[in-house]
Amino acid sequence: MTTSQASSRAEVSTTGVRLRQFLGLHADRILTYIAFVLFAVVVLVPFYWIFISSVTPKYELFQIPPIYFPSTLTLDNYNRMANGLPFWEYLVNSLIFAIGSSVLSVGLSGLAAYALARIRFPGSNLVFIGLILSIALPQIGLLVPMFETFKLFGLQNTHLGLILLMSSLVLPFTVWVLVSFVNQIPAEIEEAAQIDGANIAQVIVYVMLPTMRPALSTMLIINFVISWNELLYPLVFAQTRTTKTFSVGLLELATEGSTYGRPWDLMSALSIVMIIPVLILVLFGQRAIVAGLTRGALK
Amino acid sequence: VNRVVRHRLSLTQRRYLIAVLLVLPVILLRAFTAFYPFVQTVLLAFQNYNPAFPPTKWIGLQNFARMGTDPVVQGSISFTIIFVVASTVFQLIFGMAIAILLNIPFRLRGIARTINLIPWAVPMVVVAIGFRWMFDDRFGMIPDILARGFGLHPRWLIDPLGARVAILIVSIWKSTPFVAVLLLAGLQGVPHDLYEAARIDGCSRPQLFRSITLPLMMPLIVTTGMFMLIWQLASFDLTYAMTGGGPGFSTSVMAYKIFQEINSLNFGYASSLGMVLFVIVGVIGIIGLVIFRRVQVSL
Repeated sequence: MTTSQASSRAEVSTTGVRLRQFLGLHADRILTYIAFVLFAVVVLVPFYWIFISSVTPKYELFQIPPIYFPSTLTLDNYNRMANGLPFWEYLVNSLIFAIGSSVLSVGLSGLAAYALARIRFPGSNLVFIGLILSIALPQIGLLVPMFETFKLFGLQNTHLGLILLMSSLVLPFTVWVLVSFVNQIPAEIEEAAQIDGANIAQVIVYVMLPTMRPALSTMLIINFVISWNELLYPLVFAQTRTTKTFSVGLLELATEGSTYGRPWDLMSALSIVMIIPVLILVLFGQRAIVAGLTRGALK
Repeated sequence: VNRVVRHRLSLTQRRYLIAVLLVLPVILLRAFTAFYPFVQTVLLAFQNYNPAFPPTKWIGLQNFARMGTDPVVQGSISFTIIFVVASTVFQLIFGMAIAILLNIPFRLRGIARTINLIPWAVPMVVVAIGFRWMFDDRFGMIPDILARGFGLHPRWLIDPLGARVAILIVSIWKSTPFVAVLLLAGLQGVPHDLYEAARIDGCSRPQLFRSITLPLMMPLIVTTGMFMLIWQLASFDLTYAMTGGGPGFSTSVMAYKIFQEINSLNFGYASSLGMVLFVIVGVIGIIGLVIFRRVQVSL
């Protein structure tokens, strides 16, 4: 009797009450999703804006008020960008710069990290601390002597010079991360290999390299992203078509005086091209990147 | 016995030799691109070196005296410090909020974590130029939304204060996700049973945050803050690509001022400014170390 009364009352209850009950039960989850949506909008809207600008016909870009959802989409901007700029040269230069820097820095850091973590020669702690402290030397403050040295060695406007500079910039952090990684690998496997008569070269190639592979590829991704995004070094040391990277190319487009004069169509298309490789790396390597970025900070 | 000892010694020595060989490339590269230029910068700071006006002479402290009469330098130093401190504080606050969101188990958490990495991964030049487009007084979406949605008409990149706030917003937008990644890793390390125990004792959520999360995270918050301060002190690409230091010199940071002096071939003066930057970085580093010690002891 009482139960049927209760149920009938429940049927009578308005949707307002039910909504309130729902909100009471799920308040946490609703708040979480509101926060998530807010967060996602703030992060993603600028990309939407750049993307939309890149596929909007040029004459529609300069409208007041701006057009949020263009009626016609076009790839004209990309076409003009690919043909108008030295686009392919910049692409090749950017790839050489970013791949070269990440490979060189990870290679050198891997060897150094093994020595610093495992062999512990006299002074190894000093070397490690010196390396870490050198992160604090701002690259902009070291530019003048670098300029002179590069002139002396003829390294201006060369891929080699740019790659050396960029690798050096990311070396300390890379060594730091890799040392903490090697420290976590138990030494028993190597010791066993050494007892079996393997020399250090063999230990590095056959034992360390396979175990360090995840850490090495993580750092390859991170250093690629950092180099791909670098502005200062290419801006200063790459002044020819054979070495200029996308960052410099984009900036040169942006230095036109007036808002009208600036080729926003080309700039947004180029921006999207610059975003694509790093976006792919983030989508597929998110876990690895986070593991690499946080290891240095937490150990 | 003698032979065995000698044999063993030479073995250790050989290990040391190999270690040094493995570390040497890293040390050489850092020496070539960081330590040597650092020493050179310090020396150049006391010379009037300008390749266009030889001869170069030692001029004692004249470069530093010149800063006293250079209004741009004084403006740059104060703006740099305000800008770097403000953006670091906001990055830590928002970074903590995002880290808490990304630590809540909800269905879209994986997507949220991936979205969070995107601003870190994209080039600063792209971000700076994209936001310049979005902040544009006539064609940008931000002035449009503020004007039509809220009746506000702030003049972003034309007014000195507007430009400073705009640059601060972009800097926060770009680097907060990186801070969130580091803080999230810290949050994941806080033991669950601490929260359980406190919840049984009847602690509310803000109380949990204040009495468990915050104290446990303090060392990481301080190191992250230090890192962001030092890193942002040295960064110039945001200013360079978004405002060019303007309007006037209102957004000229130290790093940008140094770059301009290098462009005008005032190498000696630029080096002395570089030294000021080193000193600021050093002072912040020492303050950070002291605070770090204190929060660790208080645990």
